[in-house]
Amino acid sequence: MGAITIQHIVKNFSRDIQVLKDLELQIEDGSFTVLLGPSGCGKSTLLRIIAGLETPTSGRVLLDGQDITDTEPGQRQLAMVFQNYALYPHMTAEQNVEYGLKIKKVPKEERRRRVQDALAMVELGDQAQKRPAQMSGGQRQRVALARALVKSPKVFLMDEPLSNLDAKLRNQMRVKISQLYRQLGSTFLYVTHDQVEAMSMGTDIVILNQGKIMQRGTPQQIYTDPQNTFVAGFIGSPPCNILPWNRGSVAIRPEEVRTAGTGEPGLTMPAKILSTEQLGDDSIYLLSTPLGQMKMKRPCNWQQQEEEIRILLPAEKLYFFDEQGDRIPSTDTLRQDFSLYLGHCNMASRAVAD
Amino acid sequence: MYTLRKKCGSIGKHGLLVLLSLLAVFPLYWMVVSSFKNQGEIFGTAFWPAAPTLENYTYAFEQMPISRMLLNSFIIAIAMTALQLLTSILAAYALTRWQFKGRGILYTMLTLTWLIPAQATMIPNYIQVNEWGLQGNPLAIVLPFAASAFAVISMYQGFNQFPRALIDAARLDGAGEWQILTRVVLPPMKATISSLGILLFINSWNEYLWPMLVTKKLESAPIQIGIKSFVSSDVNMWGSLMAATTISCLPILIIYIILQRHIVDSFMKWGIK
Repeated sequence: MGAITIQHIVKNFSRDIQVLKDLELQIEDGSFTVLLGPSGCGKSTLLRIIAGLETPTSGRVLLDGQDITDTEPGQRQLAMVFQNYALYPHMTAEQNVEYGLKIKKVPKEERRRRVQDALAMVELGDQAQKRPAQMSGGQRQRVALARALVKSPKVFLMDEPLSNLDAKLRNQMRVKISQLYRQLGSTFLYVTHDQVEAMSMGTDIVILNQGKIMQRGTPQQIYTDPQNTFVAGFIGSPPCNILPWNRGSVAIRPEEVRTAGTGEPGLTMPAKILSTEQLGDDSIYLLSTPLGQMKMKRPCNWQQQEEEIRILLPAEKLYFFDEQGDRIPSTDTLRQDFSLYLGHCNMASRAVAD
Repeated sequence: MYTLRKKCGSIGKHGLLVLLSLLAVFPLYWMVVSSFKNQGEIFGTAFWPAAPTLENYTYAFEQMPISRMLLNSFIIAIAMTALQLLTSILAAYALTRWQFKGRGILYTMLTLTWLIPAQATMIPNYIQVNEWGLQGNPLAIVLPFAASAFAVISMYQGFNQFPRALIDAARLDGAGEWQILTRVVLPPMKATISSLGILLFINSWNEYLWPMLVTKKLESAPIQIGIKSFVSSDVNMWGSLMAATTISCLPILIIYIILQRHIVDSFMKWGIK
């Protein structure tokens, strides 16, 4: 078991700085929940409150229904992996992993067995006698993982554990952590600002901004069904184009923007290519349109000779948001309304050009 | 042309540094050489004694319980260093680790005590030591210097730079405050603590005025007090004074030769000379 309940958590760092604003969250047992958000959104603070390393200003933290708000970090049956590994520099890999068990006075034989198992799980059985300074970044992070594994905790807390690794190692460690999750079936709570990590590893994503939950759902739901302009403008690479509209705003993913003339139904408008970004498989075009600047993602074999093109926005791929930035269900009336607005903008821009 | 000028500049700079080093080392050299000169030669300007003699050393050892005083100096310096390290580690750990009301004020007050000259606290300390009945006891030399503001400030800086995540990791491992301090924080800070320890030891070894005030007998005094007794209003025993001074400098010189790199590092680290 390892279900966490966050009840009305508030965290103020001073009278003026409120990092978490009355947060409510239920983390299911056995889930891989990712707390995703920009820097300073409060995700690490929430994780540290769950770990017991920070005290909330108000609110409670429950683990399997039991209130652990005032429980010492070492008594919470949680393990944490830190961004900068936090390995004890004067101890070998084995001693680092063993230290927590030693404090809990686990018998020597059992301790040895559990340490060996944990190091073997992260494929570091032969590096047990090395100190952190003699290891690579990836190896250090695996020792940190083994230190968490050895405790057999109910919940694994991970605070941006891959941020200090290079891109190649990051991919390898992503696979390793996913494998461990499937193997152990424990609850994983993972903090990151990297949406690729969140989308590829999480079963459940919680998007935070300015101390509030903006949306929660599976990676698929978060990507295809953004509930507000923040999520639309945050998820995706590049994220959604957010276009002005007289009743709020409209968003469309750059990969859904097409070129007109294929007979596909949708709304069309003129666009001028301002710049191109080559990504290998795809290219990203920065366009100037009557609705402002927007991005279009096309396969890189799409050859565009001219600077002036016509683009098409498939009506069913448009997301509509009200003036507060909250999603409103797409209806024919809304689509017609936006079509009229677009027609008006097209005319206005033509008049300016003439 | 440019290389030649650069080379000349470099030789000039090094020449100046060598000259300054010689100026710094010369008094030490003069002390050692004078200690081997006889009474007739002592005021001469010869750089080497015509007939080197050990009579100054024999006289110094006959007149003074030098071995006993050296031992006293060692005991006093080690006790002072150990106590100052202990109090500074505990104080600095508390000040950096715990967020409590008045922490800033307490640290500022501690820092300010560093600015108070030793002469200002000497009389209150003297009265206190007398009240405790410690006059003449080596404890009287050590106790008033059991805590040092300089040591607290130095350790405070060291602890402040210590990665917080390591302490967090230890807390999650279930370690208590004492275990965090002794098993997690102090071992990686061994170099910092030993460099501070070296400085505190040298300072304690050179202590003169306070030990002179609170010791009554030469048997319980540190070597620095013994040296002074060769200088009196009637006769100055320069040869024996130089011999005793050389002996008193020897332990520090030996420590310096063994720990040369660490000592230079500590001077650089704590920014003092």
